Amino acid sequence: MSIITTSGLTMQFGTQRALDSLNVAVQSGVTGLVGANGAGKTTLMSLVLGLRVPTAGQTRVLGLDPRARGAELRAQIGYGPERNVLPQDTPASDFVKHMAEVRGMPRNEARGRASDALWLVGLGEERARSLGTMSTGQRQRVKLAQAIASDPALLLLDEPTDGLDPVQRDEMLSLIRQVSREYGIDVLLSSHLLEEVERICDHIVALDAGRLVAQGRLEDLVGDEQGVAVELAETADQPHAFNDVVSRLSESGLEVRHGEVGSRMEVIGPDADLIADLVRDAVADANARVIRIERRRRRLEDLFSAGTP
Amino acid sequence: MNGNARSSADGTEIHDRGYRKYEGARSGVVGAVRSLVWQTIRSILGLGRPARHKVFPVIVVVIAALPAVVFLGVALLFRDLGDDSLVNYSDLFGFSVAPTMLFAAMVAPEALVRDRRDGMFSLYLSTPLTRASYMGAKALAVLSVMLIIALGPVLLALLGYTVIGDGPPGVVEWFKVFFRLTAAGLVISAVMAAISMAGSSVTDRRAFASVAVILVIFGGAIVSSILVDAAEFSNAYGFLDPMGTVGETATRILGESPEQGGSASELSDSDTAAVALGAAAWFAAGAGIVGYKYRKLEAT
Repeated sequence: MSIITTSGLTMQFGTQRALDSLNVAVQSGVTGLVGANGAGKTTLMSLVLGLRVPTAGQTRVLGLDPRARGAELRAQIGYGPERNVLPQDTPASDFVKHMAEVRGMPRNEARGRASDALWLVGLGEERARSLGTMSTGQRQRVKLAQAIASDPALLLLDEPTDGLDPVQRDEMLSLIRQVSREYGIDVLLSSHLLEEVERICDHIVALDAGRLVAQGRLEDLVGDEQGVAVELAETADQPHAFNDVVSRLSESGLEVRHGEVGSRMEVIGPDADLIADLVRDAVADANARVIRIERRRRRLEDLFSAGTP
Repeated sequence: MNGNARSSADGTEIHDRGYRKYEGARSGVVGAVRSLVWQTIRSILGLGRPARHKVFPVIVVVIAALPAVVFLGVALLFRDLGDDSLVNYSDLFGFSVAPTMLFAAMVAPEALVRDRRDGMFSLYLSTPLTRASYMGAKALAVLSVMLIIALGPVLLALLGYTVIGDGPPGVVEWFKVFFRLTAAGLVISAVMAAISMAGSSVTDRRAFASVAVILVIFGGAIVSSILVDAAEFSNAYGFLDPMGTVGETATRILGESPEQGGSASELSDSDTAAVALGAAAWFAAGAGIVGYKYRKLEAT
């Protein structure tokens, strides 16, 4: 079942088209909304929340129209914005409790859930600290805590790992995965870091300059493909080594793809092990040097270079 | 809480206390507004914040309450002076002009500017709150805090006089005075809240917002005084003074004319309807500016 659907969704700011006739269907689970800065991710989130009026098109979120039933819808959504929005002087527990109340929790329930949410994100001992004294990593955790404290049906997280170091990023991604898998909360996670999206998402919606590049299950969009990818070292003493290897593999009846320049080639065929052996022989014959030989793999980056919806 | 915990890189520990689904009723927009009003009042008064945020509100409250306390003390100590020891309520409202202006300059910038600078305005709009309910909650919070200054000391005086036996005679008369005081306090607070919120809508700097509010209130009084008293223009220019206008409105509500001991102002000779319209115009101007600015304010 789709939790978010858009049809022909268009958002125009003056002469700039932030979203262009977007048709997406976001499924239950963790969905990665990927794209470079300016791709339209935040604009899409604000339309999902009903904070903006689209220039054209329709949106339905959890079966509701954000424009017509925005307040009812937003009571079911936890939102973690990209910006640093936390009030400096307020203790973390007061802030999370207040946001839970604003999202509809009764006061006593909000107090308990705020405490639980802060413990869950690893800030139980720090809950009385003012937000202004917390590190970037801790503040990102507080943003997640305030979003989940009201037990939402859907979490919208805008760049939740922004500003985090690699270890903190791993922990944040694990928390998000845990929130979805163990607590049954659907998550729409925006990020411009493709590898982190690949790590935790079930589904992908890829945007580029406001247009849909790809959408679907992660396993359908990335994964192993037939053949191997080869990268050779460029050396001054063997300037023709790359072309020699390509020629030898082609003469063996294999399909070889490579660019005009560069040192990477893809060798296509059903038996990767056999191809790897043939590549090894061709490299040895051409006296070339290998940097890596690996199975061909579709990656999220390829979606953007292919540009096919 | 169970004992299932794991350490993280920055020394914090992640405890899996279990996550409970919530199946109960949600309070919707009403609960959101209630929470925002209370949170805003707490923020303005410095509650739950470091001590330095409590200093200014406490000082202003003390300044505002001081005249009422002094007059109560005088009435208590010098009872043989009779009615001469009593101050009338419109004069008490007059004593609260300076603290009310100070509070107006501080309250709304704290309530509104902070949210815009912190980005909390956009976060609030991602909840059941809408622009209208957000502004309603903020207005209610600002009005409530302004009432502490504008109405609190006068009610304190009423209660004090009542306790020492100098209050209004009889229950009916007492409640009549009580409702008149409340109405007058509400008018003063509402107009000051509207001006304060308008000043806080035009800039994202709290200090500039405070200066803008003081300029409107204090500057209006100066311009009005120059035009009416020095240049001897029409008394109608007295309406340029917001504090004078609401003060005169309060005097009319209390039924205390200058002849009856009420304070005289440039607007003393004006019709009561004109005075009420003047106060309404100041309120409408402030509310209009706030509405216009927030209608255009982008939430992302």
